[in-house]
Amino acid sequence: MIEYEPTICPYCSCGCGMYLVIKDGEIIGQEPLKEHPVNEGGNCPKGKNAYQFLYAEDRLKTPLVRKNGSFKEATWEEALNLVAAKLKKAQPNEFGLLASGKNTNEGAYVLQKFARVVMGTNNVEYCGRLCHSPTAAGLGPTVGSGVMPISQLDIENADCIFLVGINCKETFPMITKRILRAKKKGAKVIVVDPRNTVTAKNVGDIHLQLQPGTDVAVLNSMMLIILEEGLEDDEFLQSRTTGIEELKNYLSSLDLKEMERICGVELEEIKKAAIMFAEAETGCTLFNQGLNQHSTGSDNVKALATLALLTGQYGRPGTGPSPTRGQINGEGTGDMGCLNVFYPGFKRVSEEVAKEFGGLWGVDNLPSEPGYPYTVMLQKAEYLYIVGTNPMMAAPDVNSVEKLLKDKELLVVQDIYPTEVANMADVVLPAATWVEREGTHTYVDRRVQKITKLVESPGKARPDWWIVNELAEKMGYKEYFGYTCAKDIFEEIRRCIPQYKGITYKRLEETVGGIQWPCPAENHPGTPTFFTEKFNTPDGLGHLQVVDYKPPAELPDEEYSYVLTTGRSIFHYHTGTMTRRTPKLNDEVSSGFCQMNPKDAAAEKIRNGNMIILKTRRGSIEAEARVTDEVPEGLVFVPFHFTESCANKLTNPVLDPACGMPEFKVCAVNVEVKK
Amino acid sequence: MSENMYIARSSHKDALERGEYGGAVTSILQCALETGKIDGVVTVKAKNDNRYTGVPVLITTPEQLLETAGSLHCSTPNISRFVKEYLDGASTMKLAVVGKPCDIRAIIELQKRERIDVDNVILIGLNCTGTMSPTTAKRMFTEEFEVDPDSIVKEDIDEGMLTIVLKDGTKKSRDLTELEERGYGRRENCRRCDINIPRMADLACGKWGAEDEEKKSTFIEICSEKGKNLIDETIKKGFIEVKEPREESLQRRKKKDEAEVERAEKWKTRDFKIFQELNQSERLNYWISEFNKCIKCYGCRDACPICHCKECILEAKRGFVDKGEVPPDIMFPLTRLSHVADSCVNCGQCQDVCPMELPLSLLCSFLNRELTEIFQYTPGIDIEERPPLTTTTEGELQIQDTFLDISSLTEK
Repeated sequence: MIEYEPTICPYCSCGCGMYLVIKDGEIIGQEPLKEHPVNEGGNCPKGKNAYQFLYAEDRLKTPLVRKNGSFKEATWEEALNLVAAKLKKAQPNEFGLLASGKNTNEGAYVLQKFARVVMGTNNVEYCGRLCHSPTAAGLGPTVGSGVMPISQLDIENADCIFLVGINCKETFPMITKRILRAKKKGAKVIVVDPRNTVTAKNVGDIHLQLQPGTDVAVLNSMMLIILEEGLEDDEFLQSRTTGIEELKNYLSSLDLKEMERICGVELEEIKKAAIMFAEAETGCTLFNQGLNQHSTGSDNVKALATLALLTGQYGRPGTGPSPTRGQINGEGTGDMGCLNVFYPGFKRVSEEVAKEFGGLWGVDNLPSEPGYPYTVMLQKAEYLYIVGTNPMMAAPDVNSVEKLLKDKELLVVQDIYPTEVANMADVVLPAATWVEREGTHTYVDRRVQKITKLVESPGKARPDWWIVNELAEKMGYKEYFGYTCAKDIFEEIRRCIPQYKGITYKRLEETVGGIQWPCPAENHPGTPTFFTEKFNTPDGLGHLQVVDYKPPAELPDEEYSYVLTTGRSIFHYHTGTMTRRTPKLNDEVSSGFCQMNPKDAAAEKIRNGNMIILKTRRGSIEAEARVTDEVPEGLVFVPFHFTESCANKLTNPVLDPACGMPEFKVCAVNVEVKK
Repeated sequence: MSENMYIARSSHKDALERGEYGGAVTSILQCALETGKIDGVVTVKAKNDNRYTGVPVLITTPEQLLETAGSLHCSTPNISRFVKEYLDGASTMKLAVVGKPCDIRAIIELQKRERIDVDNVILIGLNCTGTMSPTTAKRMFTEEFEVDPDSIVKEDIDEGMLTIVLKDGTKKSRDLTELEERGYGRRENCRRCDINIPRMADLACGKWGAEDEEKKSTFIEICSEKGKNLIDETIKKGFIEVKEPREESLQRRKKKDEAEVERAEKWKTRDFKIFQELNQSERLNYWISEFNKCIKCYGCRDACPICHCKECILEAKRGFVDKGEVPPDIMFPLTRLSHVADSCVNCGQCQDVCPMELPLSLLCSFLNRELTEIFQYTPGIDIEERPPLTTTTEGELQIQDTFLDISSLTEK
């Protein structure tokens, strides 16, 4: 029998639908699902090659235990007993768990519960720390919530779209479709990016090509110009915000010429953009890693949100600064509480909240102090449990990470392939993924959608929740876990997270396109737009933020004379575990590369296609030179998908003090031809 | 004159009840399955009873056929692709394939290219006046008809009106052209389509000409020997009852068809006007700016029934177009265009699935119209007629290009 079965793409967080074609328990193809409201039948290159990653030869199919330096196959019983025995020796603060934006909500929920209930610690984090922690830290004090405040479907109704540090044509193609629709109706697009990306080239009307890491200078300039032109939204400022006087005082102390010198964008261009955005009926703002991945990431986000408040571009469909989550469950894993400072539902870690969850879960003494953030956990936790994430590719300064991981008391890695970090583990646990298990994910605009199990997982691979459930039982905590299926867990999620209360498996199965939280009751349709009446702050007002420009931590000097920035390609996904095992995607871009401006290349005697050596204070890599005007003079760009040209061996682990975000986007690098 | 035309209805109670127009098509297929004339039927089924997600299915028992009765105007499944990709082009089983005119034409083009078997397939065509994209349709039902899209049990497009029937029996109608002016209604390719009666199939079935019958019936036109045998057998085995259509029924059917063709002409004139008003370099610029939106997903190629190569030259590893680039080099869309434009059957699948919403179907059907005039070739009609691309003469190659300035491209 051949069946077309609907599912949702496993890659970014747009949440596009597709049919998988299933014959005799195997996926033999995929077809467009035209009814899905997000993608309406279209898929991007990754989405069009969505299932091949399941079937690569080196898929992990059985637990592996390291004995005398090499892996031996083990039963679940052996592997989990070993892990349990070791973990019983760990003090709460010696344990750390890293979850993933690729877990299901159910998986993520059980993972954080394991850390908190069994291990007694808030040392639970996920890769969201490395992409959107400044969003939470920046939007929290400003508007009270770090989630996308609109529905992605409403972007097409904006008449000005402000893209800040987001190369959406490559990283969020289906959001780009909405932007193109808006453009067809006359909308203008402003792109802020140091690179002349395909988004800037093909989608943008104005490109503010700033010096890397000078976003605050651009945004402050825009705000000052808006005030000078009298284009602020007085009514909105008066009724919905606080802090305008302080903001005005601060901005009036700035010298626009000085700002122009710092950011390297002509004042006239900034002015054009500022006026365009302020005069828009519906000004949509989208931002991503280009804004976030700085030691000043949370400042950048605050300034961006303040600009939206100043112009009244908040609280209506299609407005509001929207963070764009890069992973299928980038939103959901955070919602579930895989963060050192949040219990499920973004309840901030405290005595009170620990007691509340103690009541819900029937346990005493839940941890009430914040745990370590991601990179600190790598340093300090002696017992590390890593699920579906790969710090050996994704964390900054990978050489240091490697040293740290080598010396751990216990390193458990639960994943689908032998990743770089799995190869260092003491115990490797094979996970089921995507349509091999049932579960929900929460996509970029708080859109909860359900995935049905369509095929069996290979060998002994099991869903994340099952593995942790078993482990909890072996640790003596069966009464607090004891789940028999994903639905059990989702029912508990509904009880513990008010935003999910009205969402049920049955409703999700009947609703193509899912339901956007908050959804307080089973007859509630979900919430496309946030902040329509008030913000999520204690006083309900938007808090305008005064933010001072601070330069990146490491800038070029004589020894390291270029700026290095990192990012992604449309054909690959993050650390490459899935897409490099997908033949058609890997055929498109099969190895690492480094973009370099033609003038810089000439000065360094580098030709297109040469292998070059990139060196920073932390390490060096080799990559193929791509000479292109996509990067301006002085800037080189390396994507972080490729293990053989591992960009994060170079990056600077300096953190944003407000949120623990490393400065992936700027460091000083030296470039030379490989001889 | 009408020995090849029948007014038919099923003799079986179940089919009569489930079918929209007397269940004749269902019973013809049931007979073919029961007598072993075919091994399976390829048709469309509403997945989980959802009218907006019709998917192609292979049916192998007469009982299952009842579940597929009725037409779905808000689903646009790719039937020819299902047969080509997942049923090995009918090489190992005898199939009856039920489809709209564009589905049937797509299959005939794939048969010419030896990707779908000729002898193993019986084509049952259904009249069609257009389909709607499911998301547009749902939006339209909510915003214009002010009904819950899930409360609809039937849609009908006839004489310029779109009519829906709700669960409670309520009917609502709207003027289709008015809806379409505002961006609702049928897919763009359907608006321009002038082939409503699938005479290229073995049987062309529809309600036109059977509207006045006392009992709900289907008008069937026999279009081939294969079709005739099938009908004769079905009548003989007592699956359907038939009678000859009256002259006024024939006239009515003809008139309705002509009116639809006229409607399509208007849309064509309107949609193609923008290109006719542009000069050649403006046209090229327009298309380059559209092609620049491409993200190289290969969705159009995979959906296209004319794209038939097992090893496509546009694959990254073939090296014909530089790999890893977005947008891809202009040779990517142009190569596809040159490979398919002569044989486009205006099924609209390419445009349906384009994530960047390039007006691909518009481009292809515009070019196809020009080429049809030059080569006197209408794709997807006659299996013996070869595509111009394979039969072009030296002389024809000298004809002034209708769309692009070829010399400026070859310079590159």
